[in-house]
Amino acid sequence: MSDNAESPTETQKCDPSTTQQPTEDSGTTDEKKKIDVLLKAVGDTPIMKTKKWSVEKGRTVQSLSQFISRFLKMEPNEQLFIYVNQSFSPSPDQEVGVLFECFGSDGKLVLHYCKSQAWG
Amino acid sequence: MIACGHSNDQMSSCVLDEETFCRCCQLFLEHSHSLCDGWSWQLVKGSEEGYLRKVALGNVRIRTSSNPNQITDQYIQGASSDQRQGRTSPFTPHKENDDDHNDEQYYDDDDGAVCCMQDSRSSGVIQYEYHILYSYSYQTPVLYFRASTLEGRSLSLEEVWDGVHPNYRQRLQHGPWDTITQQEHPLLGQSFFVLHPCRTEEFMRPVLQAALEEHRQVNYVVTWLSVVGPVVGLDVPLSYCTKVPAPSHTSPSPLQPPALQTQPD
Repeated sequence: MSDNAESPTETQKCDPSTTQQPTEDSGTTDEKKKIDVLLKAVGDTPIMKTKKWSVEKGRTVQSLSQFISRFLKMEPNEQLFIYVNQSFSPSPDQEVGVLFECFGSDGKLVLHYCKSQAWG
Repeated sequence: MIACGHSNDQMSSCVLDEETFCRCCQLFLEHSHSLCDGWSWQLVKGSEEGYLRKVALGNVRIRTSSNPNQITDQYIQGASSDQRQGRTSPFTPHKENDDDHNDEQYYDDDDGAVCCMQDSRSSGVIQYEYHILYSYSYQTPVLYFRASTLEGRSLSLEEVWDGVHPNYRQRLQHGPWDTITQQEHPLLGQSFFVLHPCRTEEFMRPVLQAALEEHRQVNYVVTWLSVVGPVVGLDVPLSYCTKVPAPSHTSPSPLQPPALQTQPD
């Protein structure tokens, strides 16, 4: 990840219960707004040719994981792991918009991904 | 100490010693208490060994007994309707990319939600009991759990496999015996489900390696639980990532198992 390894200064916003409700904006809901995501491979995992993506805030980590898996043409016996802040695997149901609020820097969310046959 | 890699540094292999495990658990517990997240430290009678424990309620897919091939889906996954119609793509390449994919739209046909027939006879609410133990043979934490309906019926292994989060389902189906099996709880001697620890190192290594390179530390238990928890319905709030520090290696360890806050069994 970037050099910014410290916690966000506004730690309150990492509590999903205090995340602001989406506001109306010219007829577009907050979930349709997109955030920039930078995907970084770790280890022997193949590097995606396209690393920067604009992702709707409301999309889940699972959705992104499925997308990467298909992009990498992963086998059914392989599992993709995604890490935020290079220290934590967000829940598959977590919205990327929330991750961006907590861990975004320089206008983007950096996520590391790793392919493995591992389990447990 | 936590160790990962091949240098002389403290962090030089992807294993965890018991003392550091206890320290990680203590720090984990402090945050759990502040969140009322329900974790506690349990001591085993007549022993200094202990483990983290949490009881939680959750929804799960249950095969109805009348129709074993029909799965009652209690999840609502995040597939939006216009997604299915292919009208908008949730993933578009960033415009600054040099490649020629800019005009392509990558459609994500999210099939995470499969809504089948609702069976009013199955309650769908399951009580989970999670235990985090230290494994001496693997030198990693291990997640044990058991699950039962509110009426007290224990879930079968097949039902537990059915309840695995869709994100991990395909991999599970390829090797269910690699992942979740039924074993005797090493401290309690009762039958529990367990998430296999044999390859914990593989998904911990990227995190530990990065931390090593950046001269920072991670809380092994937090990172590990964030990966394995969601597989079996255990939610680990995001604040654990930012609010739980790594154990300090310089301070003396006050965290021998008896010193941890305990509850009677």
